[in-house]
Amino acid sequence: MSHVTLREKTLSYLIVGPFAIVLAFPFYWMVMMAFKKDADFYNVQNVPFKFNGGPTFANVRLLFHHTKYVNWLINTGEIGVVVVGITLALAVPAGYALARLSGRMGQSLGVGIFLTYLVPPTLLFLPFFALISRLHLQNSIWSLVLVYPSFTVPFSTWLLMGFFKTVPQELEDAARIDGASRLGTLIRVIFPISIPGILTVVIFSFSLVVNEFVYAFVFISSSAHRTVSTGVYTDLIRGDLPEWGAIMVAALIPSIPLALLYNAFLNRFIAGFTGGAFR
Amino acid sequence: MAEAVVEARPRGRRWIDIFERPGFLASVLISPAVVFITALVGAPLALAVYLSFTNSTAGSLHGKFVGLHNFRHEWHEAAFQHAVWHTFLFTVISQAAVLIGAGLLAHALIRPFRGRWILRFLILLPWAAPIALSLMAWTWIFDTTYSVINWTLIHLHLVDPISPPQWLAQPHLAMGSVIFVHAWRILPFATVIFLAGIASIPKEVDDAAAIDGATGLRKFWYVTLPLQLPIATVALLFGIVFTATDMVVVYILTNGGPPPSNSTEQITTWAYKIGIESGSLGEGAAISLFLLPVLATMAVLMLLFARRVEVS
Amino acid sequence: MSDTDDVAARHGRYDRRELLRKGGVGALTVGLAGSTASKAFGFYGPLRFKGRWLKGDLTIIQWVHFVPAYDTWFDNTWCKQWGEKNDVQVKVDHILNTLLPARAAAEVAAGSGHDLFFQLAPLAQYEDQVIDHKEIVQEVQRKIGKIGALAHKSTYNPRTKKWFAFSDNYVPDPVIWRHDLWNGVGLAPNTWDNVRTAAPKLKAIGHPIGIGMSNELDSNMANIAFLMCFGAFIQNEHQQVTIKSKHTIEALKFMADIYQRGETSEIFGWTPSSNNDFIYAGKGSMILNAISATRTPEDRHLPFADDLWIYPIPKGPHGRYGLEHVMGVYSIWKFAKNKAAAKKFLSDLEINYRQAFLASKFYNFPTFPGALPFNQIQKYARADTHKPRGKYQILTTIAKKYTYNVGYPGFTNAAVSEVFATFLIPQMFAQVAQKKMTAADAASAADQQFKKVFAKWRKAGKI
Repeated sequence: MSHVTLREKTLSYLIVGPFAIVLAFPFYWMVMMAFKKDADFYNVQNVPFKFNGGPTFANVRLLFHHTKYVNWLINTGEIGVVVVGITLALAVPAGYALARLSGRMGQSLGVGIFLTYLVPPTLLFLPFFALISRLHLQNSIWSLVLVYPSFTVPFSTWLLMGFFKTVPQELEDAARIDGASRLGTLIRVIFPISIPGILTVVIFSFSLVVNEFVYAFVFISSSAHRTVSTGVYTDLIRGDLPEWGAIMVAALIPSIPLALLYNAFLNRFIAGFTGGAFR
Repeated sequence: MAEAVVEARPRGRRWIDIFERPGFLASVLISPAVVFITALVGAPLALAVYLSFTNSTAGSLHGKFVGLHNFRHEWHEAAFQHAVWHTFLFTVISQAAVLIGAGLLAHALIRPFRGRWILRFLILLPWAAPIALSLMAWTWIFDTTYSVINWTLIHLHLVDPISPPQWLAQPHLAMGSVIFVHAWRILPFATVIFLAGIASIPKEVDDAAAIDGATGLRKFWYVTLPLQLPIATVALLFGIVFTATDMVVVYILTNGGPPPSNSTEQITTWAYKIGIESGSLGEGAAISLFLLPVLATMAVLMLLFARRVEVS
Repeated sequence: MSDTDDVAARHGRYDRRELLRKGGVGALTVGLAGSTASKAFGFYGPLRFKGRWLKGDLTIIQWVHFVPAYDTWFDNTWCKQWGEKNDVQVKVDHILNTLLPARAAAEVAAGSGHDLFFQLAPLAQYEDQVIDHKEIVQEVQRKIGKIGALAHKSTYNPRTKKWFAFSDNYVPDPVIWRHDLWNGVGLAPNTWDNVRTAAPKLKAIGHPIGIGMSNELDSNMANIAFLMCFGAFIQNEHQQVTIKSKHTIEALKFMADIYQRGETSEIFGWTPSSNNDFIYAGKGSMILNAISATRTPEDRHLPFADDLWIYPIPKGPHGRYGLEHVMGVYSIWKFAKNKAAAKKFLSDLEINYRQAFLASKFYNFPTFPGALPFNQIQKYARADTHKPRGKYQILTTIAKKYTYNVGYPGFTNAAVSEVFATFLIPQMFAQVAQKKMTAADAASAADQQFKKVFAKWRKAGKI
């Protein structure tokens, strides 16, 4: 038995190792870029894999003292939290309904809301901005809060639909036999089991929000109201000179905690699938 | 509460029981999402479609109706045709790579082993970083003068120091780089979905397979793969959609270049160049809309396929 | 909407007449106070620009200037003082210049946005969405003299007789080259022939030259200027396409030769910062770029900073023809909320351009020569202490004699803007340089492409 485990283990390392290196290499590079001294950074003769002449925090200082980076972080966080909330409020019931209750019409509806992904934001941003301006939401982060669920909800609905399908029907039937109403079952029985699915939706939606660029850039023009993606990209590139170090610091600060968070959620998420309430 | 509902049932029969009807409950639960999305996206989408039939310019939402002129014009443009081909090529290759990669990774990560946590963290990083910013890191990694890849190759004496490979300036290398980055950023996302898929295989099925003597590759082919097909299809579908409708990757890495073949121009970046940067908005709208029927057909087919292979 | 402007304008004139008529101590006091203020801030005439008729906010959006000191000066000194003087709250937003077109389109689509919209090149395709800027041009001309030819040709549409933008500054585009390296091969980039001779030699010693042929701004400017040096032009004075000519073919072959023997393939993937990095890394021996390429080595104390010389564009068979590197171009939307303040802001900015010039470290040249005569610019340049001493003086010569508009000898119209925005010219050069097309074929193909674009805009009534 342990011999099989050893082989499986080696195989795991052999597969995961190279992937991890390739996927994470740019982040190692970001760390290098973030903390290198300018003279070292721009010198082609130096070995780029280490800090020649020591690391520096100058870029961190530049980012925090000369830009509105903290505002951008806060804005992104606020938008993320509210959008995730809206997404859950809309997608959880919709996902459940599509999984359990709706039959044929539900199928077409499910496909229908998916179609909103197919028109690129590079076209939609113009009419969207016209709409946002009519609502006097331009330059406000609430414009993004309004628009982002349009792409987090369909995917989340699909995710949750798939997830709810894996919850055995017997569980619900047992609850109904005990006299609970459908609504009651949903709230008291299904909900607690679907925490892993919900966590997944939280992760996916939040990542979609953090990554979004086009709408964030178009709807918001003042530096103070920007999100991390757009703020860094528009404020830290001066004409033909990007502030590479500061940009990389700005990239690392949200990435590492988010990756840690996703990793932690992933455990619960998988445990939820394999464990299940009926063990 | 259950008892309360049971007791209340005779009295509240009239209105609360309506939620017992599956059809009605379904509508109530689905409608917020549907209403929200239709109201929000519907009008802009309709406007975008309208624009593609006009000769509107410079951001103006009004223009003279020109029928199918924009579509016909673009259809015959070489630049557009190339953009279509490139979009197709990038999407197919990158997502095929993602499919294989995510499949392998998910299987390898499903069982605990020492260091799994940290390796998983590393794998999740591309997905956790805002794409616009990680693309800046990639442009520096591929930079014409400061590329670390070239530095390494030069110092291993594998390439000419004056003319090292230009990852974003030589046509085929540029395509490869873009495809690579497309795959790089979707891979963690797909891996997580695959992990969910494998994890959702009930233990009984696993045990049954073991009893039947199916292990390793046989087990994969006859047991794991069919069970994972639905979720793999959905993962693939989203990967395809996110890649085909994406603009940021090409825009930041190559801006559609390198000339003269503009080998990395995708439909989305071409639409942006024509519609926004040159001001021919009607044409740009028409170009963007070409994606819609293609992706829609593909999405419907894949989703129906996923449903069919679902093993309950 | 234009009614408000007229009323406001009338109001201002009425005030002045009233005051003058009333005369006496009041006018004298105000006059004294105003002239001291005007000396302190350099504003003209307190009586005329009392500013009582300006109210509210003025919103501006512009690029993140390459020189951080300029933005600091603009936001914190200039706008603040102007706002206080004119009773207007000025708000400035900055974004990356490559994203300005998307922002412009969005503001037009929404019918609402900033009062003053800045672009780094004249975007003639927005002509219908902006006001006629002729008032501002006339006001500034009244104060400091005629507008320069470059700005005139870049922001005026002769067909519709409309000034579709107001340009406050332009940046001359010199050649930046490593004197020590060129000395080593015994040449200087004075003529394109010299460049062609020197390029292979410089490449052989590991320091090639770099003229971009990529989908980006620097390549556009360099390639179009190169064509002009050979007598090849996109259009003639009557806005007709003239790209298919033997001069074009000669230029294409010449550049292909330079590339094949003296440059590396990286130039096809350059971004606006790549040619700068090419120099900063010590690898490159010549680029066409604004003086950002010399200022940064100065700031970073790079070892060869003193060996970076500035020359005008090399001379070709037809002469020395350069373009602006970038141009500051402001437009006021038809739907702007505070047009009066916007107009006054621009005219005040231009009239006092000496301050902007200095704040930008000689990067921004005023489009109205009267704002800062060339001999004064020369004086400032001479005082610059970087080595070799006085190297920035050549900028005045470049600005005076060798800077033309994109689309010269015609005007910069919407068709030229589209050719520019889709990078058709660097692509034409790349076709020939990479031997994908013969020069004759490439010129013909470009001719067809350009004609289609011109036809489209002609039909729209813009040419």
